Amino acid sequence: MDEARFEIPIGPQHPALKEFEYFKFTVEGEKVVDVEPKIGYNHRGIEKAMEDRTYIQDLYLVERICGICSDAHTTCYCQAIEELMEIEIPPRAKYIRTIMAELERIHSHLLWLGLVGHEIGFDTLFMYVWRDRETVMDLLELISGNRVHYATNTIGGVRRDIPPEMTDEIKEGLGKLEERTRFYKELCLEERTVAQRAVGVGVLKPEDAIRLCAVGPTLRASGIARDVRKDDPYAAYGEIPFNVVTYDGCDVASRILVRCDEVIESVHIINYCLDNMPKGPLRAKGMGRAVKPGEVVSRVEAPRGELIHYAKSNGTNKPERYKVRSPTLGNIPALCKMLLEGYIADIPIVIAGIDPCFGCMDRVSFVDVKSGRNWVWSHEQLRRYSLEWYRT
Amino acid sequence: MGIVDWSRRKSPWLLHFNAGACNGCDIEVVAALTPRFDVERFGMLLRGSPRHSDILVVTGAVTLQVKDELLRIYEQMPRPKFVIAVGACACSGGVFKNCYNVLEGVDKLIPVDMYIPGCPPKPEAIIDGVLKLLKRIGQREG
Amino acid sequence: MDSEGRREEEIIKALSAHLGEGRVIEASVSRERRVFITISPEDLQGALRFLSEEQGFRHLSTITGVDAEDGIEVIYHLNDGKIALSLRVTVPKANPILPTIVDIIPGAVLYEREVHDLFGVVFEGHPNLSPLILPDGWPEGVWPLRKEWDIKRIRRKLKGGKDG
Repeated sequence: MDEARFEIPIGPQHPALKEFEYFKFTVEGEKVVDVEPKIGYNHRGIEKAMEDRTYIQDLYLVERICGICSDAHTTCYCQAIEELMEIEIPPRAKYIRTIMAELERIHSHLLWLGLVGHEIGFDTLFMYVWRDRETVMDLLELISGNRVHYATNTIGGVRRDIPPEMTDEIKEGLGKLEERTRFYKELCLEERTVAQRAVGVGVLKPEDAIRLCAVGPTLRASGIARDVRKDDPYAAYGEIPFNVVTYDGCDVASRILVRCDEVIESVHIINYCLDNMPKGPLRAKGMGRAVKPGEVVSRVEAPRGELIHYAKSNGTNKPERYKVRSPTLGNIPALCKMLLEGYIADIPIVIAGIDPCFGCMDRVSFVDVKSGRNWVWSHEQLRRYSLEWYRT
Repeated sequence: MGIVDWSRRKSPWLLHFNAGACNGCDIEVVAALTPRFDVERFGMLLRGSPRHSDILVVTGAVTLQVKDELLRIYEQMPRPKFVIAVGACACSGGVFKNCYNVLEGVDKLIPVDMYIPGCPPKPEAIIDGVLKLLKRIGQREG
Repeated sequence: MDSEGRREEEIIKALSAHLGEGRVIEASVSRERRVFITISPEDLQGALRFLSEEQGFRHLSTITGVDAEDGIEVIYHLNDGKIALSLRVTVPKANPILPTIVDIIPGAVLYEREVHDLFGVVFEGHPNLSPLILPDGWPEGVWPLRKEWDIKRIRRKLKGGKDG
């Protein structure tokens, strides 16, 4: 670079500090020409720690990999250990696991919808959605005693029952959620701001989605009908009629529609479970068995996509190796593809479109190859830039 | 001193920082802003900048990757400044004790004025913790 | 159920035929939709190309590293939309080198970096094997998921690194 490179001192932190940017963008004027993801701020060393703890202790550690989809992690974990122990959990437990998983999907998708609203400057949407989301938080608390980290799953089954007395309250809440979600879906389809910011934005062609091994709603919004609940059934999903939601738009708007429809599907799945709940115990018998040496692969459809755990046991009460791949990591290569050739102003909504872990884009850095300028923006600055850009 | 102090106590500006948290506490901090809990009625606002914030709200056990950032943010805040550790992880490492990439708690790095335990604490508990802190600040200076 | 059971067996036979007599070191069907196959590192690219291009295993869920007795196991978790096929190779700990597969399955790009971070496996030909999840300043040669690096030892090294 022969021009003077300078760093614009914007951002809450002083530019001389060692930043940790999640994404480093190379831009040419308004367009993104290269993306380098830099993740790892959330790396805690969980897989290593799991080798030092017993299987029951690990259940509570695994749950806290993510506060938004903790039930997906515990379901995936319990399934893995149950397979190693060669245990089949009772039918009632399968249905309860399914209900909790779908309630989590609803809370996660609505949380996301609110954040998307915030990203495009639609704070009213954010406030309304998060107000309505409290309905599902109340149901989670009703059943499990907690709003986040429900701890309903255990090795061998579930720890809490969903007795018939709760059914009315759950169904009433679900009715409200379905109605509100249909309203938000219509709103998104009709609102010009949403159309402007989300249609044709963040395009991921089906072939790229497959090549880059994308997962979840991101994949399904490019028309690919893959869903672990349908393809590799677990819990009670093999017995429950439901639709895998896909849209062909391949853009952020399609991702919004996929998640709205998935909330409605979840409501139907939960209603089906409540109406067809088998009687019986909540946990398998003979739980004192040791975990035989072996290896398993466990998969679950978390709200953000395919979640996969690999477990290797050595006959002791601690795992030999436990591997977790969360869905967000699976979508980062596809995300990079979506961002390329896009506008800087689209960055926040495209990243939000894959529903990444919450703090995933706290800071982004830019290098402009034409001017040689480089700078760092906080998420808030980038968001405001986008709002301004689209206003003019 | 009196008026500035009063306005600080009545209308604290908070900066939320995720120090490697699982997001459980973060979503409850954000939920505190939303209509059901409506933290803004106490005049509390979430700001984006350390230079304008009175209270730093930290979640997470503090991973090695974020600790420099956390320290810098704390140093950038003008005095008087206060730190709230939200959640078991921020208080003491929580379930992440003996994980190689974790400091096990915010007070391993910067002084903490209020600990709000929970995994995660409910929005009511978070608001309660902030209010208790404000009361204590008031009593100290009053 | 029966046709799926046959499909799992078919895949093993097809791979065996493709690689040649005896090249599949070990293979098992642990249950429906779960296949485990062990091959040599030399056969890795050939097997992956065959499975992804001719057998429909285009999705790579992740790559797992395992510090095992006879070396470092690298397990490629493939999926064809229904069946989870875990393809394993083992490399010596002292010289853990494998060819990259990003030209066959571009979605592998971050998973190889992660295995490199945690186990020190070098994926030759990878466009950018820089640290993915370990923090800046992490000391060279500390592969945290190898068994010899227990938490105490890691912490001592991190402290030592600061002072030294």
